[in-house]
Amino acid sequence: MKTVCMALLSLFLFTGAADDEPKSNFTTKALAVAQPKMAKIYGAAAGQVEGYATGIAISPDGKILTTQGVFLDGKQVRVVLANGKAYEASILRRNRQYQLAILQIQAETPDHFELSREDVGQQGDFIVAVANSFKVADKEEPLSATLGVISLRTSIEARLTKRDVAYKGDLILIDQITSNPGAAGGAVLTLDGKLVGVVGKIINSSETNTRLNYAIPNSVLVDFVENKKTEASTSVAERKPVDVGIKLFAHGGRASPAYVDRVIRGGPAYKAKLKSDDLIVSIGGQTVGNVRQFEDSLKNLESGKEVIIIVKRGTELLRKPIVPREKK
Amino acid sequence: MTNTKRIAAVLVVCFSFAGITSIRCVAQEAVDPVQAMSATSRVFRAAVEKIKPSLVTIESFGGVTTVQGRIGGIRKQGEGNTTGILISPDGHIVTSTFNFIQQPPVITVITSDGKRHYAKFLGRDDTRKICVLKIERRGNTFVVPEMIGPKELEVGQWSISVGVGYGDATPAISSGIISATNRIGGRAIQTDANVSPANYGGPLIDIEGRVMGVCVPMNPQSQAIGAGVEWYDSGIGFAIPLADAGPLLEQLKKGESIYPAFLGIRAMANPNGEGVWIEEVVPKSPAKEAGLLRGDAIVAINEVKVKDMLELKKVLNTLNAGQEIEITYIPDGKIKTKKVTANLVRTPQPAGAPEQLEPPKIR
Repeated sequence: MKTVCMALLSLFLFTGAADDEPKSNFTTKALAVAQPKMAKIYGAAAGQVEGYATGIAISPDGKILTTQGVFLDGKQVRVVLANGKAYEASILRRNRQYQLAILQIQAETPDHFELSREDVGQQGDFIVAVANSFKVADKEEPLSATLGVISLRTSIEARLTKRDVAYKGDLILIDQITSNPGAAGGAVLTLDGKLVGVVGKIINSSETNTRLNYAIPNSVLVDFVENKKTEASTSVAERKPVDVGIKLFAHGGRASPAYVDRVIRGGPAYKAKLKSDDLIVSIGGQTVGNVRQFEDSLKNLESGKEVIIIVKRGTELLRKPIVPREKK
Repeated sequence: MTNTKRIAAVLVVCFSFAGITSIRCVAQEAVDPVQAMSATSRVFRAAVEKIKPSLVTIESFGGVTTVQGRIGGIRKQGEGNTTGILISPDGHIVTSTFNFIQQPPVITVITSDGKRHYAKFLGRDDTRKICVLKIERRGNTFVVPEMIGPKELEVGQWSISVGVGYGDATPAISSGIISATNRIGGRAIQTDANVSPANYGGPLIDIEGRVMGVCVPMNPQSQAIGAGVEWYDSGIGFAIPLADAGPLLEQLKKGESIYPAFLGIRAMANPNGEGVWIEEVVPKSPAKEAGLLRGDAIVAINEVKVKDMLELKKVLNTLNAGQEIEITYIPDGKIKTKKVTANLVRTPQPAGAPEQLEPPKIR
């Protein structure tokens, strides 16, 4: 019996050695899918802002999806396909809100991604990002590949303040470092070669004061390509300002904690039995870190609609229903 | 199954596959690299699920305001929530001191069941950048995670950093490996998983969901409270193991604090020979009290040889304020070494810097 096993074993070894197939590892498939569809994009630099980015072909007739940025503002935008051929590109569409752009080149791009709305990849899945960070790759050289996992699928609206250059909407946080010049517009794929999204431009999170590494998910890409108008948040703007009948301590400016100085008699806070010296911790599900955040959170409330306010009194946290009223 | 039967079974499997395709294909399928990685991802997710009940979200209110994005020279952290880990069934939480550089007078904690608690700040260890908070238990006891000590870790094994700092109720994760098991004077382990304000105070876990350590900003050359944050997401990340830290945690639970050591010399590499040449001795400092003078050359601390300031700092960074050390030095103009003892103290706070964080005062 032993001899049979040995014979089998040598058969395995032999067929293995005789095979001329290229070596394969866990990124082979994803890279084979991505590299022929990638584009290097060169435009105008402005001061310290880089004049280059990455893109992906999204149609057979030369449409290239990339990120919105100042590199598109120069006289000329040049697209270099995976085969090393360079083309001048025109800008079909660009959008500040999605932070995306579509370029058109006069060339066929049979190798392209078919975009779909599918949510590809979940937390912990390994992903490969293919992008031209620091324009390391030139001409026909394949782009740089990096490995990571999906950190979190989330929505950024609550994460970034209005001060940050805005990308608004769903995003996929990833753990390889893609917040490098030129990486934006790169492709992010699962190991089985499915597109997860494209690398977003460099932004800082106000939550962590760090650069975010993230991909813009497929559904957002399709929305942009199909030129869907996003629901403008007019509802918030048209909403009448509300008031809860509280005067806050404001001696430390708007960055100081939201301590109640005075409760206006007969107002919503009075009815909710709030007291002077209560610290407002949360209202309507939004954490109130300081006076400014309290003012911001009032903008999301409706008059007459009961919400929960959480205050700290002594060492206790109290939950109280409160009904905001229209601001006089 | 007997041996013969087993081999027979193997043979049957081999040949039946061989009938469909080549044996080479069968061999490849058995170790498909993409499938193997996807199995690893499932293990990651299971590990994260296991730690979730012990994770808490920390909110802080008020504190020192920033000047041009900095607080007393320290880079300000973001405006978001931070992460902590429950370490006792009755509500002790360990987290990173970095999360409180604004010295918030009020801290609240949201446990995994969504309940918000008022938190008391107990003790801090500034040499490890960790601190202990306490929340009151209402009803059920809290879920305490399993811990794994640095001695059981191997360089190269998977590690996952977990934190809620990006603001979502679901924690974000980053995977990596253990890079070293003995760093910063044995205080920390090192990982290449992303470690940043998004997970300072959160756990570094193994693939079984056991806590390897608490993520903290660290820099072996400095014990300043903000040091190390400049290396965020760089592939150089640190975590403080808790498995064998029982006595330390008991100290912190009692409200006692541990501070970095201060010797009180300005020095340079000795141009005339071995050791570190003292340029200046700070008045009333441990060095002054031990009798060290300008021109003396320190050659060893606690028998550990020091050639330059970097090495001296490295040794001091393994020590705490309150410890006694033995300094071997060559007095100015002499050849023979002498030994003195010095009692290390806490670093005097430079004027203008924020005071050390004290337990919050209840208004």
